[in-house]
Amino acid sequence: MPEALLELDRLEVAYDGVPALRGLSLSVGRGEIVGLIGPNGAGKSTTLNAIMGLVPPRAGDIRFAGRSIKGRPPERVARAGIALVPEGRRIYPNLTVDENLRLGLAGRRGSGGDGVIESLRQLFPILDRYRKRPGGVLSGGEQQQLAIARALAAEPDLLLLDEPSLGLAPTVVDAVFERLAEIRERGVTTLLVEQRAQRTVAFADRTYALANGELRGIFGPADAGNTDKLVAAYFG
Amino acid sequence: MLQTAFNALALGSVYALMAVGIGLVFGVLRLVNFAYGQLIMAGAYTLAIGSEHSWPQWASVLACFGVVIGLSLLLEVGLFRPLRGASPATMLVATFAVAFLLQSIALLKFGSLVKTASIFPGLFDPVGHGQFETVRKITIVAIVAAMVALAALTLLLAKTTIGLHMRAAAADFRTARLLGVRANEVVTLAVVISGVLAAAVAVILVVEDPFVEPQFALRDTIIVLVGVVVGGLDRLWTATLGGFAIGVATSVFTDELSSAHSVYVDSFVFGLVIIVLLLRPEGLFAPFRARTVERA
Amino acid sequence: MRLAARLPEVVVPALLVAAVALLGTFTTRANQIHFRAALVDVAIVVGLYVFIGNSGVLSFGQISFVAVGAFAAGLMTISVGVKRGIMPTLFPVLKDHSLGNVESLLLAAGLGAVFALIVGLPLMRLSGLAAGIATFAVLGITHNVLFNYTKIGPGATALTNIPETTGLLQGMIGAVIAIAVAWIYQLSRFGRMLRATREDPAAAQAVGVSIHRQRLLAFTLSGALCGFAGGLFVHQAGTITTEDVYLNLTFLTLAMLVVGGVGSLLGAVVGALLVSGVNSFLVTAEGGIHILGMKIDLTDGTHLVVLGAAMAVVLVLRPSGLTGGREFHLPRRLARGRG
Repeated sequence: MPEALLELDRLEVAYDGVPALRGLSLSVGRGEIVGLIGPNGAGKSTTLNAIMGLVPPRAGDIRFAGRSIKGRPPERVARAGIALVPEGRRIYPNLTVDENLRLGLAGRRGSGGDGVIESLRQLFPILDRYRKRPGGVLSGGEQQQLAIARALAAEPDLLLLDEPSLGLAPTVVDAVFERLAEIRERGVTTLLVEQRAQRTVAFADRTYALANGELRGIFGPADAGNTDKLVAAYFG
Repeated sequence: MLQTAFNALALGSVYALMAVGIGLVFGVLRLVNFAYGQLIMAGAYTLAIGSEHSWPQWASVLACFGVVIGLSLLLEVGLFRPLRGASPATMLVATFAVAFLLQSIALLKFGSLVKTASIFPGLFDPVGHGQFETVRKITIVAIVAAMVALAALTLLLAKTTIGLHMRAAAADFRTARLLGVRANEVVTLAVVISGVLAAAVAVILVVEDPFVEPQFALRDTIIVLVGVVVGGLDRLWTATLGGFAIGVATSVFTDELSSAHSVYVDSFVFGLVIIVLLLRPEGLFAPFRARTVERA
Repeated sequence: MRLAARLPEVVVPALLVAAVALLGTFTTRANQIHFRAALVDVAIVVGLYVFIGNSGVLSFGQISFVAVGAFAAGLMTISVGVKRGIMPTLFPVLKDHSLGNVESLLLAAGLGAVFALIVGLPLMRLSGLAAGIATFAVLGITHNVLFNYTKIGPGATALTNIPETTGLLQGMIGAVIAIAVAWIYQLSRFGRMLRATREDPAAAQAVGVSIHRQRLLAFTLSGALCGFAGGLFVHQAGTITTEDVYLNLTFLTLAMLVVGGVGSLLGAVVGALLVSGVNSFLVTAEGGIHILGMKIDLTDGTHLVVLGAAMAVVLVLRPSGLTGGREFHLPRRLARGRG
């Protein structure tokens, strides 16, 4: 495994005393795409939220490029080089597509924002076509592309995606995964949280399975066809 | 008739400025600053003190802006920040308490005797002759000042990066932070702009009524607060329009009610407010979609 | 929990009130006024609590009911001769009749209830900020009308010559009645239904609770208690102006409720007694006092500043108030019966 960019070290998170993550440890290497799967309530979103500083961990550590980022406020985590594409996209419906994109620049380190925006418009042609339209008129799949582009605008070292295929039609999901493949070509390190277990396991370099706040298994692409093993991890 | 129209426009303009000040802070903090009137009062007292000590006018005005902005920032750090996650009811009562506190401090320090602030007395003169004799210069200044301020603010919000950040923070603070928008910067800017507007309003009000006492602008603030909620607090332009509308309504009621009934202006305005709130609790100018006032 | 186990919830606040009244009998005539004021404050704040605490809806307008009750009770207990002399513009029905002490209190409660019912019918549909503003508008209208309409009262001038019938005993009885009524209400299914809407409006509605109806009931009851408290208030003060029942009192009583804890009856009582006590102490100190060998002489108006600051501080540090919104419970070992 290449040098670890993100490390979670026995992370514990609880909401009002109810444990959501019980001592989770995982790592994402530079340039890798790592998947995180599990049933509803497993703690997948909580993991991403903890990394972004939206929820304080009760115990354990989060290390990014070797340094601990535990307890940092979200805007500082973003500016450190981590971008989150949140669950449900969370596009600003009343801002234009362009404005939504430009908002992503807030997390940038360094200048050159205009150039990045331009290149993102080429990567996601939808965004070029709908520049001045309000974000709310885009379809679900288009909003997902906007959300990913917005995250990439910050040129992050680490991209976190929270269930990008949620609520999208199968063909649209295909399109999303194609985009993710293109992002992989560009060498952006990615942690992908998904409900679609098999697809994720086949796509990612390595996939962690989470259930009830704990790690239940680690899979490689070769395990994608092994339904029994996957089911065992979910319900074991 | 002309005078009524200009008076209504002027009061509407001043109230619109106050509405923006209140609406901006609400947008980024989800907090209604009941103490906004006391900020204006503090500015008025600064002008009065400067005037009593015969400072040059520009110095008094500058001091006024300084005091009001400083006090606003103090409120932000001392009260708004610690209360960030609290329930709306708690925040409401807390700013109510601070409003009371500031007014009591003024009462303590200056007593209830009136101070006079003589600032730009020339603006109290009429604009012209004949028909225009009933319209004062300050009325025109108020309208123009409001238009300029609103135009400048619109430009700031629409064309600048920080303006974009503020709009995003007002619509969805959490996501904005995730994208890297600096929460404290956005909030501080909103508070500063709000303070600038309060100071401007203090100057305008003092020209129209140079007598300053602890309850200065209290009635105006109550009416604006009501107008802002009625207009629709969740969007800045609806809040501003609400402030403007209630200013116009109050002015018209004051001028048009016969002298026997004119003392009941407040009841008419409040009565109108209740009716509007019942018909459109989400705000008079809000579009027809799911009501959002419930979250308050 | 069995009823017997819940009795401390009402007995403790009532005992606190009785203790204060008892203490008052040992002080000088001059100082008794503070104790009487504290007892009346308890009645007012309990009236506020019945609605705000149980519904979770912030209302700035309850003091309107105190005002209506106060002016009605005050006006009707002034002798007819005096009324005809100093307030000739009154409606004849008000000018030519007068009532006894208890009757005036009943009148005050009744008027408060009717006014609250009328106002509440349309307003209880609102929540949150809209409700706060609308009830504030009611306060504004009440003040405006009372201040100007000289056919129903003295208008801008003070209402004087009111018999001071609220001594320590009447104050105590009044406060205890308020506490008892509030407790019975919150124990009743109406009170429980309303509290359910406070915790989770959607769930409450799903099981058939009519939010509007329950809020209206509490609002009307609150109006009655506040009106009644207004009657006690005016008979304790002996004289009243419209400013006495407007913004200052609204702020003061809200502060008492918040400091004590919005969610509980004990909070209302504790908050009222505590803040009233501190307030009285500060007001006296403004007149210059000797304590523990030191002379304290605060500038006039200090008490308002301290009160405002205290309220802000409590809200920042402990928003649920001193009692945390909880009633008084006996420690588990002592309480008999299971919860």
